[in-house]
Amino acid sequence: MNMQSEAQQKIDTYLKKLNEGLRGIKEADAREIVEELRSHIVEKASVGGELTIEGVDSALILLGNPKELASQYQTDDLLSRAEASRSPIRILESLFRWASLSIAGVFVLVGSLLGYFFGVLLILLALLKPIHPQTAGLWATRDSTGDLMVSIRLGFGEIPEGARDVLGWWIVPLGLLVGVGLVLLTTKFATWCVGQYRRSRIMPLRGRGKQFCFAERQGGREGS
Amino acid sequence: MKENDARDRESGHKWEVQLRKGCLELVILAVLWDGKLYGLEILRRLEDDSDLVVSEGTVYPLLSRLKALGLLKSEWVESEGGHPRKYYALTADGKQRAREMAAVWARFAGSMSKLVDPLAKGK
Repeated sequence: MNMQSEAQQKIDTYLKKLNEGLRGIKEADAREIVEELRSHIVEKASVGGELTIEGVDSALILLGNPKELASQYQTDDLLSRAEASRSPIRILESLFRWASLSIAGVFVLVGSLLGYFFGVLLILLALLKPIHPQTAGLWATRDSTGDLMVSIRLGFGEIPEGARDVLGWWIVPLGLLVGVGLVLLTTKFATWCVGQYRRSRIMPLRGRGKQFCFAERQGGREGS
Repeated sequence: MKENDARDRESGHKWEVQLRKGCLELVILAVLWDGKLYGLEILRRLEDDSDLVVSEGTVYPLLSRLKALGLLKSEWVESEGGHPRKYYALTADGKQRAREMAAVWARFAGSMSKLVDPLAKGK
């Protein structure tokens, strides 16, 4: 009886760690994952209906580190939520994860960060123009070699000498339009890429969409 | 010289790991072709063939991913022992996908065999 409860306790500790690693996954899904693995461990570790400590130990070793196991579920979950999501924060969160798995993810992450950055910058500019009418806007200057340079200024600080306000008050509607457009486009681009990647994690087939070939490193547990 | 040998063996091993990994989804879909199985049963089926052994920590997240993609469905069934088991079965999409993947595999394996059989026989 004592052995039984000790074995049971080992299982509970493992599953608790796993559950902690599953944070962020929908509660019902996380519960199902935990119950499925509990069922696996119990069946694997039982001899004639009785749990043995050695059985539990070997079952847990074969399942591997609970944090690593959880992170495999997390990757899949993040990608599927990101694909359905319209929230830039959630999308960026999953792009960071993807970037840690493959080089293609790094490119999509950098592209999306740039898209969101300039989108938000333009929106900010449009909003700040009424507050800093004299200094906010797109300013064009010619440097000593005569090259044209355009800088975005939010209105904090001085404008460069001899600079010309390119758009004037047009920056308000144009900034809003292009800024919002850029944010939406970036979201669309990122979710499309995530969707392609998600499906490519199942063997890509000929003639079906783009053939993505990602080298994955799933927590370095390939060797097992 | 010895270092080179070790490196060759290492990269050979990596190549084998990638090769197995690329086939893992098809392995799972194929093992479920004849009907529903639960996780441990799938693992035991694969253990029967030492070339197909898969780590347990890989199979469960993979099953959940295949389900999220709509290729598998699952149901909980109470066992005689009293604890519930989560059974997986192919959906219509899953069957379709398994057939497509099997066709690609057969073509590829055929071409590869034709090419490398002489090497394996050491001619």
